[in-house]
Amino acid sequence: MEKEILAEIKDLSVTYPTRIGSVSAVDHVNFNIYKGEILGLVGESGCGKSTLGKALLRMIDPPGEISNGKIVFRGENIMEYDYNHLRDFRGRHVSMIFQDPMTSLNPVQRVDEHLIETIQVHEPQTKEDSALQRSKVMIERLGIGIERLYSYPHQLSGGMRQRVMTGIGLILNADLIIADEATTSLDVIVEAKLADQLREIRDEFGVSLLLITHNIALVAEMADRIAVMYAGHLVEIGDIYKIFEEPKHPYTQGLLASVPNIRFDTNEHLYKMPGEPPNLTHPPLGCRFHPRCPHAMPICSQREPLLVEIEEGWSVHCWLYQEQSS
Amino acid sequence: MNSQKEKQNDSVPEWQLELDKVGFVRRLFLARKWYKGDWWFVLISAILLIFIILVGIFPQWFAPYDPREEVGPSLLKPGEKTPGFMLLTNIADNVGSFQDIAGASNKIGYIMGSQATQAFRDSLDILNAQSQQEGAGLMYQPRGYRYETAQQGLDALQAGEIDGFIVAESELGDLLADYPGIQFLEEIRSSKAESFILGTNQLGQDILSRIIWGTRIALIVGLSSALISFVIGVPLGLFSGFIGGKIDRFLTMIMDSLYAFPGLILAIAIASVLGAGMGNIIVAIAVIYVPTYFRVVRGQTLTVKNELYVEAARSLGTNMMTILTKYIFPNVLPSVVIIFSVNVADAILTEAGLSFIGLGLPPDTPDWGIDLARGQDYLRSAWWLITFPGGMVSLVTLAFSMLGESLSEILNPRLSEL
Amino acid sequence: MSSSLKKFLVTRILLTIPMVLIMITLVFFIMRVLPGDPIRSQLGPRVSEEQADRLRERLGLNDPILVQYGNYLKDMLTFNFGNALTRGERPIREELGEKLPATLELSIPAMLIAVALGIGLGAFSAKNRKKPVDYGIRLFSIFIYSIPIFFLGLIFQIIFGVRLNLLPLSGRMDPILLTTFESKTNFYIIDSILSQNWAALKSTLLHLILPSLTLGLSLTGVFIRLTRVNMIEMIKSDFITAGRARGISETQLIYKHSLRNTFIPILTMIGLQMALLIAGAVLTETTFSWPGMGRYLVDRIALRDYTAVQSTIGVFAFFVAIISLVMDILYALVDPRIRY
Repeated sequence: MEKEILAEIKDLSVTYPTRIGSVSAVDHVNFNIYKGEILGLVGESGCGKSTLGKALLRMIDPPGEISNGKIVFRGENIMEYDYNHLRDFRGRHVSMIFQDPMTSLNPVQRVDEHLIETIQVHEPQTKEDSALQRSKVMIERLGIGIERLYSYPHQLSGGMRQRVMTGIGLILNADLIIADEATTSLDVIVEAKLADQLREIRDEFGVSLLLITHNIALVAEMADRIAVMYAGHLVEIGDIYKIFEEPKHPYTQGLLASVPNIRFDTNEHLYKMPGEPPNLTHPPLGCRFHPRCPHAMPICSQREPLLVEIEEGWSVHCWLYQEQSS
Repeated sequence: MNSQKEKQNDSVPEWQLELDKVGFVRRLFLARKWYKGDWWFVLISAILLIFIILVGIFPQWFAPYDPREEVGPSLLKPGEKTPGFMLLTNIADNVGSFQDIAGASNKIGYIMGSQATQAFRDSLDILNAQSQQEGAGLMYQPRGYRYETAQQGLDALQAGEIDGFIVAESELGDLLADYPGIQFLEEIRSSKAESFILGTNQLGQDILSRIIWGTRIALIVGLSSALISFVIGVPLGLFSGFIGGKIDRFLTMIMDSLYAFPGLILAIAIASVLGAGMGNIIVAIAVIYVPTYFRVVRGQTLTVKNELYVEAARSLGTNMMTILTKYIFPNVLPSVVIIFSVNVADAILTEAGLSFIGLGLPPDTPDWGIDLARGQDYLRSAWWLITFPGGMVSLVTLAFSMLGESLSEILNPRLSEL
Repeated sequence: MSSSLKKFLVTRILLTIPMVLIMITLVFFIMRVLPGDPIRSQLGPRVSEEQADRLRERLGLNDPILVQYGNYLKDMLTFNFGNALTRGERPIREELGEKLPATLELSIPAMLIAVALGIGLGAFSAKNRKKPVDYGIRLFSIFIYSIPIFFLGLIFQIIFGVRLNLLPLSGRMDPILLTTFESKTNFYIIDSILSQNWAALKSTLLHLILPSLTLGLSLTGVFIRLTRVNMIEMIKSDFITAGRARGISETQLIYKHSLRNTFIPILTMIGLQMALLIAGAVLTETTFSWPGMGRYLVDRIALRDYTAVQSTIGVFAFFVAIISLVMDILYALVDPRIRY
């Protein structure tokens, strides 16, 4: 199946200066997002996955900056956008849902004000009532009662707020929704419901979803492809079934083995990965995973491997799968 | 990110070990890059404070004169030369110095209403003091004669009616040329110095010495009242927040009312009932600050109390005192330090305010507020009477509040994450 | 009106009652229980013990302390303060009725200056955090806070009154105009507008500039700090990031979204700063010979008129409690989380 590329992330790096040196939170990351897919981006906390999500909107807070690479969205390099162009790009083409639904809506604005504001920011010529009309349609399609339109955020439940956030993202027919830990703070049942709904939204609106989470079960449930990050590097990306079946990168293997299994009869102990994630101000030389890697080789601590495609649509960032040529 | 302490030896990066090796001073210096302006704020205020405290502890090292002593003519401008006076004598009398014609039988003339009177008396005081020191037992007490103009005085001198004539250069003009028999013997000064850097006040006291001694008063009042509020407010806040329930509600209600009450008014009421005096002022100011400590400490205690590690300690049976001192107090400490520093600043302001409206210390105390209140009467003629003491209050308050403000910017966990 | 708002208002009003009681009790405690004999200190040492006792008897100071307290509470809550002991011995209620408008006429413009300048500069400072302009504004706020208010007033008097001779030094109105000026409300601005006395209005406004600027500036420092800290927290909050992510411009984010949310804590803080305002008013009035409550208090303290002092402080307590109540109600009306 030939998939249409929506966004290409090329050689993207994000660095933060901190009081003890600069941190490369995202380091030379390459991948594509296809139209209409759900891509799960997983990794431990602090591995740079949220930073990557923000970088796609060029929303890295100073003093951090995108130090390298480009983001090509539907053929246009958004790194070249000026501020106004960028502002229009945010919300119109790509929108974002954040972790905490309690705080990501303005507490003194009603739901309709949020929606209308979003429409009018991007389409200033739209009249108030037609914007309201569109908001009503959107709210209903998301399965929120129309009476909720005039509620303040504190009057809504967590799941409902996330749906409102999604609605704000969709109202301008965005092509990509980045859900940054969007379900993490919800309880299990609400989470499952929202996950279902996101998938329906994908089917209905044809948007792509970038699902940033540390919840591997959720990714297994929802995603078409999975991308694994470790210490600022993208270590493995590919089809979800294939990777879950036979993970290539030692980190992915460890990560998947650490997930508790719901079946009670398994007597096996959970895999415990040795060591700790490295401090990114002074990451280990070579492959950043090598101090914890069970298969580490001499070269691993000397030179960094490349992200090499080992199969159609399946790339791994590991010396085990590539020639040790100079 | 850097807060996590790596246990395994191999995962401790080299640089972290190196950072541990550098000394405290070097780390303070490195902090400059991160905290930028606030680091400079802290540095500047710290240097200022060290200087101010030094001045407060050893005012005698810095002050040229006794702050209560009248050392010069009144209302002398900063840097202005004290008017000098010429002592004129007959050449024929063969007088060697002022001392020779200052005996009880001598007669000295001066112009009525001129500042020469002051100069005359001051020089006699100096002579008498000298003679007393030498144990000579001599009293210099010449009789004074007043004239209306310089000419009359000169005529009298020439006629031998008086032994000497004291006159200012400006009063004399070119008259001396008309009296060939009269000579200019020496200059007589009315004060201890040629000029005063910051001038003198209406009593002829040296302003520089007064504001230097005032530092001591301000620091004593500011620090000790802040310390009293601290000692009462912090434990009360800790216990009230920790115990909760009715006692907490009762205390909170009282403290909130006290907090809402205008502090100065409260201090005015207390000071007016207790009367003037340093101890009373300190108590009056201390009372109005207790609620500030109480509120902040109680609020933080409530938050920290519910943190998991405190609950864990409680579930392990740790007693209340240990939890309060080992778990909660260290968390409260940064904000308390900030409040303390702002509190000292405020206490100094309040003390100056109380003295300004006449409720502070005894009137002859070298105190900034008192000097300001007195200087108000000379607003039109002598700006230096209020500018310098006022500037000192501002400077000391500035040092303390700048320290508090920049520390809060650095220590405030809510802000520092950005 | 929703039920939660009603509930909030009722609890808030109920909470004001103990607050006022505690404050008034505090005044009683200070004036009568603390060591020190106000009657002795008022009459001076030359007056015989008999005379002093007669005055005590007249003022009920020989009663048991609880009876005194009961009478005192009754008098305070009915605003029946009795007569002043000195200078004309007029009813204190009447005197305060004349002084309160003067204090308000000074405080309201001062508060407006402080709020406008403080919030404006604070928001600007927060927007440019850690840039030179931020440090500049913060330095200004610390500086203005550190200057004793009466010193600021004296400096203004020297510069604008003495040196430049632009503005009057003290008082509320030109004394010559004042002799023919008839005041009904004791708000000179209102009175002069009502009687269309434009010369008096001009004189009043000119006299108002320096004192209100002094008082206003001294409060500005606090407002800058409060606005700045709250704005910084607000700017960091998730809904601002979310707003940015959907393409809302920075200016709108700061001045529409953040500032509107910052107003809520600022409103409560204006209430709390009332204490500061009143303390400042006392000193400003003393500096500028402004015939308001603060000046009255200081005068009466100098005369050791303890009934007048006690009543004035009591009225200040009422004033504070009521303002903070009003601010809290406003706060409830602004914040949808309480309104609904």
